[in-house]
Amino acid sequence: MTTIMDIIRLLTETPLIFVSIAGLTWGILGGALPGISASITMALVLPFTYTMDPAQAIALLACVYIGAEYGGSIPAILIRTPGTNSSAATVIDGYELNRQGRAGEALGISLMSGVIGSLFGLAMLIMLTEPLSWLALAFTPASYFGLGILGLSVIASMSGGSLIKGLAAATVGLMIATVGTDPISGVTRFTFDIPDLLGGVEPVLVMVGLFALTELMSQSGSTNTTQLNQKIKIKLPSLAVMNRLKRSQFIGCVLGLFEGLTPGGGGSIAAFMSYNEAKRWSKTPHLFGKGSEEGVAAPEAANNTVASTALIPLLSFGIPSSNSTAVLLGGLLMHGLIPGPRLFEQSAQVIDSIYVGSFIAIIAQIGVGIIILPACIWLVNRPRPYRAGFIFALILSGIFTLNNSLFDLGIALALGLVGFLMRIAGFPVLPMILGVVLGHMVESSYRRSLVLSGGDHMIFLQDPIAVALLSIALIFVVFSLSREVRDARKTRIEEARS
Amino acid sequence: MTFIKSIGQAVLGLATLAIVSGANAQAEPLPYPNKVVTLVTHSSPGGGSDVFLREMTKYLGRYIDATFIVENVQGGSGGKAMARVASGPADGSVFYATTPTYIYTSLMSKPQSTYKDMDPLVNIFADSEVIYTRTDGPYKSLKDVIEHAKKERGRWGAANPASLERQAAEQLKRAAGVTPAIVTHEGGGDMMLNVLNGTLDIGIGEIQELRSQLDAGKITLLATFNPERITEKPDVPTVKELGYDVSLVKFRGLAGPKGVPDATKAVWDEAIKNLLADPEYKKAYTAEVLVPQLIGEKDYPAFINNFATSTEEFLKSTGAIK
Amino acid sequence: MRKDLISGLVLLAGAGTYYAWAGEIADSTLSDEVGAAGLPHVLAIVLAILGILLMGRTLLASQARQVAAGADDDERDARLPRAVGFLLFGAAYVILLPFVGYVIGTALLIGGIALYEGAPRTWVVPVAAIGGGIFYWAVFVKLLGVHQPAGSLVQGLF
Repeated sequence: MTTIMDIIRLLTETPLIFVSIAGLTWGILGGALPGISASITMALVLPFTYTMDPAQAIALLACVYIGAEYGGSIPAILIRTPGTNSSAATVIDGYELNRQGRAGEALGISLMSGVIGSLFGLAMLIMLTEPLSWLALAFTPASYFGLGILGLSVIASMSGGSLIKGLAAATVGLMIATVGTDPISGVTRFTFDIPDLLGGVEPVLVMVGLFALTELMSQSGSTNTTQLNQKIKIKLPSLAVMNRLKRSQFIGCVLGLFEGLTPGGGGSIAAFMSYNEAKRWSKTPHLFGKGSEEGVAAPEAANNTVASTALIPLLSFGIPSSNSTAVLLGGLLMHGLIPGPRLFEQSAQVIDSIYVGSFIAIIAQIGVGIIILPACIWLVNRPRPYRAGFIFALILSGIFTLNNSLFDLGIALALGLVGFLMRIAGFPVLPMILGVVLGHMVESSYRRSLVLSGGDHMIFLQDPIAVALLSIALIFVVFSLSREVRDARKTRIEEARS
Repeated sequence: MTFIKSIGQAVLGLATLAIVSGANAQAEPLPYPNKVVTLVTHSSPGGGSDVFLREMTKYLGRYIDATFIVENVQGGSGGKAMARVASGPADGSVFYATTPTYIYTSLMSKPQSTYKDMDPLVNIFADSEVIYTRTDGPYKSLKDVIEHAKKERGRWGAANPASLERQAAEQLKRAAGVTPAIVTHEGGGDMMLNVLNGTLDIGIGEIQELRSQLDAGKITLLATFNPERITEKPDVPTVKELGYDVSLVKFRGLAGPKGVPDATKAVWDEAIKNLLADPEYKKAYTAEVLVPQLIGEKDYPAFINNFATSTEEFLKSTGAIK
Repeated sequence: MRKDLISGLVLLAGAGTYYAWAGEIADSTLSDEVGAAGLPHVLAIVLAILGILLMGRTLLASQARQVAAGADDDERDARLPRAVGFLLFGAAYVILLPFVGYVIGTALLIGGIALYEGAPRTWVVPVAAIGGGIFYWAVFVKLLGVHQPAGSLVQGLF
């Protein structure tokens, strides 16, 4: 059992505090570089942990994960480039705030929301691992299908004006997700015999292409220099602001908790859904998409919560629920540690140092953030010609590391063009990204369920979780559609009047 | 895909070698023409082949006089790593960690280089592919499972699509004359949840991925697809001895560019033989339930070709490839 | 409005192409009832319907009232060639990278984009470009230890 004495010993006898802060800083750096996902950041440091003490090695990896999940929000806010998949939802309002000259505030909100999410996730990990791990078991393929549809139902409210265009964008996203190896039969689809396509198109390529490259392209040649007037100071949210954000942060924490438990998502689904829920429950929903503080707080609380709660299925079942925890699993195995109920008894020291190390990292995140964020703001406020060149080079370097593939660069560039054309034609890009993120899960869980039931669709109505999730999805869609129709009618009346 | 895509390149420095060398120097390391040998894997750091190579290189320095570096070349489901090795120097300085994946990728797509562009060098291990169920479930033996599948619709899981596990499930299905639904997953962990919560009757996967729940007693092994019983689990019968003529070997070995000198190959044969007998290494790999399966450079090419031919036939018979 | 018509046509054409490609997916006996080509076929049909709806709505709307395209739209359209030009630097980078290597490739990209975006032609451009190339090389290759192409023409220099 962990005692206060154990914790004090871990803090003083070993340099766990240095390991944690080093891991966190490394994680923020990797997470902030576009294309270098949380899992790659962890994988890069993994070989070095091989010679370390097991408890510290695992704590280091856990801290890298926390840092990377947070770091992804920095470029999302500053250069419209999600550093990791799960920070894609932060782009929407974070970048908008930045354009309004409020980058310091947006970064402060994301920092503090991240800390709150991480602390909540850690508390769940320490106190409720056992009961929560059984929740993970309750998810059948039918439940996953329900979860995926619930995620897709967000599209209805993310289409920004034209539902037809939103649905078309989502369909194209789902089409991109079908590229690669078929999840059920294993035959190749749309790969044209190119080995690079066997594993499919990475969602991050789509995000970088549609968000970042499109933005760079449309800024090209513009003489707009408003961003140069920004204050480079980071502004932590005041208590009053925090109080205003607590509802959205709560939503993010709860959804992050669930996504961490369930294999497959890795934070992006929770981030998108909490963004949408925060909007639904907000007192100022009209601000969403136009620079809402809650629109930053909710997804950041969500993806930071995932960084801790994803350890619950990993440590209790040995099941990695995301790529990042798969690397952590590799780290455990390399040190001869087998995750599972017995790990908690046999290697209590490892567990303790994960807890203590994570806690140190979360608190240190505030300090590290305050130090590095002003520098980041300063960097992106250099004269536009240079800024454009450096961001472009950064994006291309980052996504090259994904698979060591020039082919990936080509895909990202092509998607940049697609995104620009979509912008001209008035198509929203968010539904497309959601389609890419969720397509695989929706299709494979749907087909897996039908294999199980022998083709009987009743299986989706026999699974209580699936029923619950699908009903919520249905309510969302009806609700969003009725709002859409109402708004459209309102504008038509206004147009007729004018 | 279960591969985590990321790239990592790491030098497993002399530090680790220094720790272990000397500790157990019963035999002089064999002289080797290269100072540095790069072992390439398509697996990401922390993935199956990566852990296997890094573990092995800790001890390999005792038997071959060289420094070993593990390089992760990811992407293209192994296509990149194969190209890297096939076009590398054939002087014994670069090898590829073979697993069934490289055969599947060669057959399923048209990578720049395939298994045919490399010379199999030596096989080292066979992973244990097993059939398992949840301990508190209704099935106590493989026979129960087959009986159930005869009466009702069985539900079997295979860890990955178009993989050795899937192939095993299909062959068992034919051998037993039953038609259960076979549900493929994306990795063994995903499938284990569905076995634990009773969605699936049985799962077919690697024993390494089950260890946590095996230790905790939540799942039970019903049979292994290995040709012989697993030394560590002597009471688990093989599928073959239960009367279904299916066995398979999920191999782990090394292959090099074409034209590695015979003398160099002979060094590896000798070294791997000694390595597998190393008491410390033996302790490490038996704990991981890796079954040593030494196939020397004389027989390994035939083994790989045999495996590739039967896999190709299987994939063609199902229509997955033409 | 013309834009929505073109978009609708593009969606239709895309749906057709995708449908045709989906026909080439191998039919495996390992597959389920839905099949590997099942979802792709549905998606293609959905996209085609959406394309037709978009065109139909546009035609109906344009009969009812003539909506003038906003000035903002025109400005954005005019930037298309410029934006494509920007992207071409990226394409050139992808093509050149295997030959000139990471440091030079990155320096050329930064310098090229800076000039394209109207940086004054002073000594700052080459300094920033080369400095940027070396800085990114230090971050990615040295600090993070990830692989970037060394370049076949300059191999051995770094």
